[in-house]
Amino acid sequence: MAIFSRRTDDDFADEVQAHLELEVDRLMADGMSAEEARAAARRAFGNVTRAKERFHETSPWMWLEQLGQDLRYGWRGMRHSPAFVATTVLTLAVGLALVTVAFTIFNAYVLRPFAIRDPGSLHQIGWRSRDSGGRHFRWRDYEDLQRRTDLFSAVIGERTRVASSSDRSIMIAVVSLNYFEALGPAMALGRGLGSADAGGDGNPAVLSDQAWSRLFDRDPSALGRAIDLNGRAFTIVGVVGPSFTGLGDMPRDVFVPVSPAWDPPHGGAGDRLRETEITARLQRGVTATQAERALTALMSEATGVCAGLRAEVRPQSSPNVLSAEMLVVLSPVFAAFVLVLITACANVSNVMLARAIARSREMAVRLSIGASRGRVVRQLVTEGLLIALVAGCAGLALAAWGLRLATTAFFSTLPASVAPLVRLAPMTYDYRVFLFALAVSAAATVLFALLPAVQASRISLTGALRGQDASRRGSRLRSALVAGQVAVAIVLVILAVTLANNGAALGASDLGFDTNGVLSVNVRGEQDELARPLAEALAADPRISLVAVTSGNPLFNQGVLVAAAPAPGATITRTPCTFVSPEFFPLLRMPIVRGRAFRADEARSGASVAIVSAATARALWPGDDPIGKTISLERPSGPNVEPLTGYSTLTVVGTVGDIVSGIMVTGRDSGHIYVPASPASPHANAILLRGRTDRDLPTPAVQDVVKRTFPDPEVFEVLPLGEMRALQVYPLLAAAWVGTLLGAVALVLSVSGLYGVLTYTLSQRTKEIGIRMALGATSGAVTGLILRQSARFAGIGAAIGLVVTFGALRTLSAAITLQAITLVDVAAFAAGIGVVLAATLVAAWQPARRATRIDPCLTLRTDT
Amino acid sequence: MKTRSGPDTSDQLALLQGTLDVLILRILVFGPQHGQGIARAIQDSSDDVLLVDHGALYPALQRLEAQNWITAKWGTSANNRRARFYTLTRAGREELVQQSSRWRRLSDAMARVLGPETANG
Repeated sequence: MAIFSRRTDDDFADEVQAHLELEVDRLMADGMSAEEARAAARRAFGNVTRAKERFHETSPWMWLEQLGQDLRYGWRGMRHSPAFVATTVLTLAVGLALVTVAFTIFNAYVLRPFAIRDPGSLHQIGWRSRDSGGRHFRWRDYEDLQRRTDLFSAVIGERTRVASSSDRSIMIAVVSLNYFEALGPAMALGRGLGSADAGGDGNPAVLSDQAWSRLFDRDPSALGRAIDLNGRAFTIVGVVGPSFTGLGDMPRDVFVPVSPAWDPPHGGAGDRLRETEITARLQRGVTATQAERALTALMSEATGVCAGLRAEVRPQSSPNVLSAEMLVVLSPVFAAFVLVLITACANVSNVMLARAIARSREMAVRLSIGASRGRVVRQLVTEGLLIALVAGCAGLALAAWGLRLATTAFFSTLPASVAPLVRLAPMTYDYRVFLFALAVSAAATVLFALLPAVQASRISLTGALRGQDASRRGSRLRSALVAGQVAVAIVLVILAVTLANNGAALGASDLGFDTNGVLSVNVRGEQDELARPLAEALAADPRISLVAVTSGNPLFNQGVLVAAAPAPGATITRTPCTFVSPEFFPLLRMPIVRGRAFRADEARSGASVAIVSAATARALWPGDDPIGKTISLERPSGPNVEPLTGYSTLTVVGTVGDIVSGIMVTGRDSGHIYVPASPASPHANAILLRGRTDRDLPTPAVQDVVKRTFPDPEVFEVLPLGEMRALQVYPLLAAAWVGTLLGAVALVLSVSGLYGVLTYTLSQRTKEIGIRMALGATSGAVTGLILRQSARFAGIGAAIGLVVTFGALRTLSAAITLQAITLVDVAAFAAGIGVVLAATLVAAWQPARRATRIDPCLTLRTDT
Repeated sequence: MKTRSGPDTSDQLALLQGTLDVLILRILVFGPQHGQGIARAIQDSSDDVLLVDHGALYPALQRLEAQNWITAKWGTSANNRRARFYTLTRAGREELVQQSSRWRRLSDAMARVLGPETANG
């Protein structure tokens, strides 16, 4: 058959030969001479060689043969111009590496499904009501759900918490016994937990790959060894493979089975604490919507909420399931990375274009000896593909290196007391990353190689062979590319400066209180009542000068809102309200502006008095003295507004300044009401401490007291207040660093692009400049000529960039209102323009200098 | 450049795109034939009106062979020369029926549109 055994070229040649002979026979029979007949037969047949070539080219493997030729040819060309290859590969590799890093992180947190059996059937159980929602349940709710075998084929309960292991903080997952059986992650060593571990005998524990590395240096003999968790010995029965790190985006260190030691399943706290996350596999044939409907009754029992309550059963096949909202939020970030890649492509495109024009004579020769234009384009694109492939590999290596560097930088810049508890999802280079790199390289090839290739194939044959080059269209394209690069650079530089300015401003902003020397102690999880005995024990320690209790520490949460009115029935103002002990104000060095501080007896008795912030005083009694006035607490309405149980009115005894109590980017509070409390009060949920000096935080004292008094020391989160402040500024600073990196890369690329174009056009205009100089142009005039050209590119690009940035930032600042953030920042715009213009001057400097050194006699003579 | 075979007189017509295939199939109805024979047969049966570029015949033959409408086999010609003979297959015969009816409809329609020959050409 024709498909399986193709005719050889020789067989076809035989057939053509036979054809000619038959035709000669026929013509001779008609009376022609042998000589005439042969000529006529050839004439009738046409070009024999061309026919054979055409036959050859119809081979199904022809494309491969031509690809081989193109690759060989491209490879030879690359070997002959190493500088060209190095520049283009490096430029592209940087661009590809940046987007690959962004994609790898995105993949690790969003795209990559959990490395378990059938991740697609995994659903997370949650609830939603009119103003709130949640995903944490009591252990007995888990047990109730587990009985719903009509809906679920497996239900998994997991509670994450911090434990200490030989004085190191580690993240443990307290899991239901069916966890490993139901999920089926690959084990590196030993076994997972199972029903055999019921009863909690022997304290089995399973390590994650990260913990195995960190704690045991990947020693296989770790199996069977003991690990200390909160002072109890657990036996390591297995190590999970590196691809599974738990059902969440924060990798777990150790998995332990649920047992009374961690979470009393029944009675006492176990019935109250909502700390268990529930994940389930839907039974075959049951949809998520059906399950949601069937669970409503169970949810109202589990949550105690009734208004508009409904269950949520959402697919959870990866740590963060991809959604349209997520893409909307992330798309500007990706856009910034892609812009840098496009700049890199524009640069390479420019170099390729120059090269294509330099090769126009070669192209003309190839076209004139019979290559089709399509074939020439294919040849050039193949060369581009070769470069993109090399650059793609280099980019992947660069991305892996860059990601390691970024991870190190991330951990070393995180506030010191937070860093030990932060775990990053494993950055795996799976097939998605490789496919992405491949696709992006291919797309880049189209971006940088196709345009020059098409350009090159359009040359006028006669002109090119005679030595004229048709570069007019090419030069316009190159100018557009450079202007585009400048535009991208200015966008990214302005963004980087805006982010950096905001980060610096936020870092230096006045919170309204003094964080120096202050330690915050919060209870992890829900057992807030544990703060009370700790506060009492700490107050007795001589190393601590001041101890205050609060219902929520500043910078950690905004606290609850209450409906406050200046008189019963008057207009309410939703105001943050915090219970604080009398030591709160001196501890944070907040002076009482008017009136007096809380008295100890008021704190003990929970008196109905209040200290209000200046903003609240203004809001409730504008222009009036607030001292002695009464705040009426009205019925709560609106989201997050809660009743203040046991209080109906509060008498104002003093005023203080406004502070930032919640999230720093939102700025100072719109007001605040402080109500007195003591360590014995049910509102004492968190502790603030001040040491004897501003330098020495009372951390060791806290650790001593905690260890002495509590069996589970890691139930408390001890953090210097200054570090919480740093932690809040951190995302903005990190964004500023990334923005600076992207801006710098884009700037360097556009400078080199501009430099390339100026140098190239200079070489084209040597003759013209020679004539100008011969006619008396001064070197200043020539410099001006080059600078003007440079300014034209930069000016157009900068104008486009400015308009785009201004529009984007205006839109963004209309969408989000954060008091402490200035998006349309004149200084940032000025800095952006300044930096980019300076850069274009730098790019133009060398070509301009070279232009002034043109010798008119020499150029005019040599150019014939 | 285009006139490769014989004198290009005004009564000879270059083949329209796509017509060569159906002509080849039609010629092969009379029995197996080699390339040169097919070229000659087309020219002769059209009373030398249709002009066949012998070189262009072969891509068409390859195309038809790839479609399995014709098969080929080396054999010996009437005057004892080795030649590659093409034979119409069953599928080729069906294709010919379809194609010819299409061409007939097309040429009828063309004739109707162009009208009687008295019109100014």
